[in-house]
Amino acid sequence: MSEDSYRRFLDPTVVSKLATMELRARLVVEGFVTGLHRSPYKGFSVEFAEHRQYMPGDPLKHIDWKVFGKTDRFYIKEYEEETNLRGYILLDASASMGFGADRITKLEYSSYLAAALIYLMLKQQDSAGLLVFDESIREFVPPRSNPRQLHLLLSELDKTKASSRTGIGEVLHELAKRMRRRGLVILISDLLDDPDKVIPGLKHFRHLKHEVIVFHVLDPREVEFRFEADATFRDMETGEMMTTEPLAIRGDYLAAVDEWTARLRRECAESRIDYVQVLTSTPYDRALFSYLEKRKRLG
Amino acid sequence: MGLTFLNTAFLFTAFAALLPLIIHMISRRRVDTIDFSSIRFLKQLERKKIRRVRIRQILLLIIRSLILLFAALAMARPTLRGAFEGGVSTHARTSVAIVIDDSASMSRRANGGALFDEAVATVRAIAGLLSGGDEAFLLTASSPTGIVVGDGTFSPDVLADELDGLRPTEAGTDSRRAVATALEYLGASRNLNREMYVIGDMQQSGWENEVGPSVEMSGETGLPAETAGGDVRAYLVPVTGPTGNCAVTAVRVERRYGGTPGMYAVIAEMRNLAARSCEIPVRLFVDGIQVGQTGVTMEEGAGGSAVFSTAVDVNEWHSGWVEIPADILDVDNRRYFVIRPEERIEVLVVGSDGAPRSGGRVGAPEGSGRVGAPEGSGRVGALDDSYYIERALDPTRAGVRFRPVMLTAAALAHQEQGRFPVVVLADIGRLDDAAERWIERHLSGSGGLLAVLGGGTDIRYWNAELLPLLGGGSILAPVERWSGVRLAPVSAGHPLLAGLVFGDGLIDDVAVRKTFRVEIDGADEIMELPGIGPAMVATTPPAGGAAALLYTGIDPAWSDIPRSGLLVPLLHRITGRLAEPAVRELHCLVGGDLVVPYDPSHAGAPVVLLPDGGEESATRMSGSRGGASLRGVSQTGIYEFMENGELLAMGAVNLPGEESELAAVSEAGMTQLLDPLEVSIVTPGAELKEEILVARHGRELWRTFVYIALALLALEMYVARPRFARQ
Repeated sequence: MSEDSYRRFLDPTVVSKLATMELRARLVVEGFVTGLHRSPYKGFSVEFAEHRQYMPGDPLKHIDWKVFGKTDRFYIKEYEEETNLRGYILLDASASMGFGADRITKLEYSSYLAAALIYLMLKQQDSAGLLVFDESIREFVPPRSNPRQLHLLLSELDKTKASSRTGIGEVLHELAKRMRRRGLVILISDLLDDPDKVIPGLKHFRHLKHEVIVFHVLDPREVEFRFEADATFRDMETGEMMTTEPLAIRGDYLAAVDEWTARLRRECAESRIDYVQVLTSTPYDRALFSYLEKRKRLG
Repeated sequence: MGLTFLNTAFLFTAFAALLPLIIHMISRRRVDTIDFSSIRFLKQLERKKIRRVRIRQILLLIIRSLILLFAALAMARPTLRGAFEGGVSTHARTSVAIVIDDSASMSRRANGGALFDEAVATVRAIAGLLSGGDEAFLLTASSPTGIVVGDGTFSPDVLADELDGLRPTEAGTDSRRAVATALEYLGASRNLNREMYVIGDMQQSGWENEVGPSVEMSGETGLPAETAGGDVRAYLVPVTGPTGNCAVTAVRVERRYGGTPGMYAVIAEMRNLAARSCEIPVRLFVDGIQVGQTGVTMEEGAGGSAVFSTAVDVNEWHSGWVEIPADILDVDNRRYFVIRPEERIEVLVVGSDGAPRSGGRVGAPEGSGRVGAPEGSGRVGALDDSYYIERALDPTRAGVRFRPVMLTAAALAHQEQGRFPVVVLADIGRLDDAAERWIERHLSGSGGLLAVLGGGTDIRYWNAELLPLLGGGSILAPVERWSGVRLAPVSAGHPLLAGLVFGDGLIDDVAVRKTFRVEIDGADEIMELPGIGPAMVATTPPAGGAAALLYTGIDPAWSDIPRSGLLVPLLHRITGRLAEPAVRELHCLVGGDLVVPYDPSHAGAPVVLLPDGGEESATRMSGSRGGASLRGVSQTGIYEFMENGELLAMGAVNLPGEESELAAVSEAGMTQLLDPLEVSIVTPGAELKEEILVARHGRELWRTFVYIALALLALEMYVARPRFARQ
C-alpha cells in the first residue's frame, strides 16, 4: 500500500467505512506515521524511526546491536526505548455523542480516535486503558501494555453505544480518585455538561500531577448551526423539545457556543491542560499529532 | 355615519385574511424535528431571543392577515356613509340618471328662449358636479324614451356633445316610462350615491300617461321595489313657462256623398287651454294652398270646431292642414291630414245557386254557374237580390267607384283570396264548407262582408254556421208587414243615412213587406230605420275585417225601397265603409307607426320622403292586401311614400293632443308620483347645486384601504427580512 493510500485513512469518513476497529486503528496510525516521514517532525516517532549510522556523540544505548551483529556496523535506533507511561482514554458515550447528522457521529469519530491512540500507545510500549462513561462510569479497562490489551480495548470501543445523559464532572472526580500512579489522561468528549463541573474535574487530575489532553469533539453543525427552515430541536439526552427559527437565532447561538468553547480553552490553558477542539470533519492526524507533542514533552 | 360596502360580492374574499393563519398552522405541523446533541444553548436564548422571534412571527402573521383583509375589503369598495356638507373632496362615487324632457311642449317660448334650452343648461350644471369614475346616464322623456347616454361612463366631453345635439322633439311626453328606465339603470349601479334628475316642464299629461303608483313602476321595470328606488334620491327640476295655449287637437276628413265627386268635409277640433276666452281665425290649407278660413270663439278651457267643405279636382293623393295663429307653442298650431284618391273597388257579389239567368258578365270563372239578370223575363219579382246589387254598384254610372263581379256560391271557394275588398252574400241560402273557409280567410285578411238576407236564407244554417263568423247571434223568423211603412224622417239617425235627401226630407210610400228579426251578439252599430226598426247591423267579426247584415230583402217581394233614391246610395255607402279596413290608417301620432296601403305585387319597399326633406325606407307589411309602414315616426307633417319616383301613398303625422295641455303637476303630486323615492323638488341654478352637494354623501375608502395594505406590505417586508430577525 502506498503512502497516499495510508493517508486517506486520516479522513474520518473513510475510516468509518472500515470493517473492524483494529483495522481502523492500524490504518489511521499507519497513515499518520506515513505522514510523519514527510513532516518536519520526523524523529519523534518511537518504534518506526529509521536506523541511521552511528555518529560520534550519540548515546551508546541507542546502538542496535542486532544490526551490528549482522552487519558489523553501528546503527542507532531512534526512540526504541520502553516507557512506563500509563495512558487513560476517557471516552464520553453519552447520548449527545450520538449526534452526527449525515456523516459520522461524534461517538464514532471519538471511538476511532481512541482506537488510534490506543494502538499508538501500545505500539510505543505504553500502557493504555479505557474508560467509557456517560453520567457514570460505564466501562473501565485499567491500563496495561500486554499484547491482549489492544484487542480488549478495541472490542470494548466497538460495542460502545451512545446513551444516557452526560455527567463528566462526577466521572472525572471519581476516576481521579482511582488513579494512583501518574499518567496521561486523554478525555474525548463533547463536554456538553456544565463547565463549572467539567473544569474542576479536569483540574482534579492536574492536582494529582496527571497530564491531561482534552479532545473536544464537536459536529460541524453544532458550531455552525446551519439550519435553514424552522425546526423543532429535540435534546438527545433530555428529550426536551424546542421549536425555533434557526436563521433568526443563529447569531446568538454561535456567540453562545464561542463563549463556551473560549471559556473551556481559557480554563484549560490556565491549568496547563491541552485543549484540542476537533470537529468530526477534522482528519485524525491533528489529534494524533497533539498527542505526540504531549508524549514528547513527557519524555 | 356607518361603514358600508358597495360591492358586497367581494366581501367573502375577506376570508383570505385567514390564509396566513392556516398556512402557519399547516407549516407548523410540518416543522421538522431534529435530534440535536443539546439544546442547552437554545434554552439560554429562549428568554430573550426566541421570545422575540415568536413575537415577530405573530407580528408577521397579523400583518399578513391584515394585508389580505384590507386588500379584500378594498375590492368590496368600503364606504363611509354620512353627510359631508359641501365636501366635494369627500366624494363617493355617484351614479346619475338624468331624464330631460325633450317633448314638444319643451319647445315653448319662455323668458326669451325655449324651455328646453333652460333644461339643457341645468343638465350641464349637474354634469359639472360629477367627476371621473362617476356614472352618468342621459335619457329623454319624450315618447318613446330615448337613451342618449346609456353606457354609464361619465365623460364631460361626450355628455357635452350629446347635449349639443339635443333638440326638442315633436313627440308627446312619457315621463313615467323614462323614470322607470332611469331607475333600471340606477338599479344596476353599485355606487353609493344614486341620483335621478327629472328636468322638464312636469307636464301633467306626461305623468298621467300610464302613470300609476311607484310600486307599479317597479313592477314594470321588473326590478324589486327596493332596487328600483330603494336608496335613489330623486330630484325634480321643474322648468316652468306660460301655460296659456291654443291648439288644433284633431282634424277629420269625411267624404261628402250625394254631391259632386271629390267633395270633402274637413272638421277641425280646437282647444283653448289659456286662462281667458279667445277668438281666433282657423285656416284650411290643401296641397299647400289656403282654401278656407273661418273664425272660432272659445271660452277658457273649452273647445271649438271648424267645418270646412272643400273639393279636389283630380282623383289623386292630396294633403293639407288646419292652422291657427302662432302662440307660445307652435308645434300644435297646425294639424295635418291627407285625402286618398278614390280607387275602384272590386266587389264580389255572390248569388244563390241555380240556373244562370244571364250570361257574359264579368269576373265569373268559366263554368262557375254565374247568376245575373234574367233575360227578358219582364218580371221584376223574378229577379234576385244579386241582380239589384249588381245594378246598384254599376260602374258605368258617373262617379261610381265599384266594380261588381257576379258569382254563384258554388264557385266562391275557387276565387283568388284577397282580390276583393268586399264580398256581398246576396240572399244566400247556404254555403259549402270550402266556401265557409274562404269567407273566414277573407275576413281574417281584413276583408269586408255584406250579407243581405232574403227569401232564400236558410235560417237554421245561418244561425249555426255563418252568424258565428260575424260575431254570433241568431236570425228569427221573418215578420211580414203588409201594410205600408212611412220612413220619416230618414235623415235622422245613422251616419250612413246622413246627407241623404229624399224629396222634401220625407220618404213616403215605402212598403216593407217582410223583414227578419235579428239578434246579433256584440254588434258594433245598428242602423235603425224609423218606423221599420233595426234594418242593418254592423259587426267586427272575430276573425277580423268588417261585416254588415242587412235584414231586409231587396227584391220587390220584400220591399219597395226606392232603388236610385235610397238603395243605391245606401249600398254605395255600406260597401265603401266595408272597404275601409283595406284602406288602413293614413295618419298617426308622433312616435307611432304610419301605415299606408301598398300593393303587395310591388317588388321592393317604398322610400318615404320625410317632412324635413329626409328619406327613410318603409317596411312592407305581410297580409293579403299588403301595406307599408314607417315605424316610430318622429316629426309632424306629411310623409310621402314613393317608389321609382312615383307617389304611392301619403300619410299625416300629428302631435299627440295631450301634449298641448301644458299644465304642470303639482309639487305634492310629483312627490306622490315618485313615492317611495326620496324626492327633492329644486329650482335650477345655485339652489340645485347646493341641494345636490348637501345631499350627496359618503366617502369611498377603497383607496385608503389599498394604501393601508401597501403600508402593511412594506412593514411586512421590513419585519420579514433576515436582518430584522437577527436584530
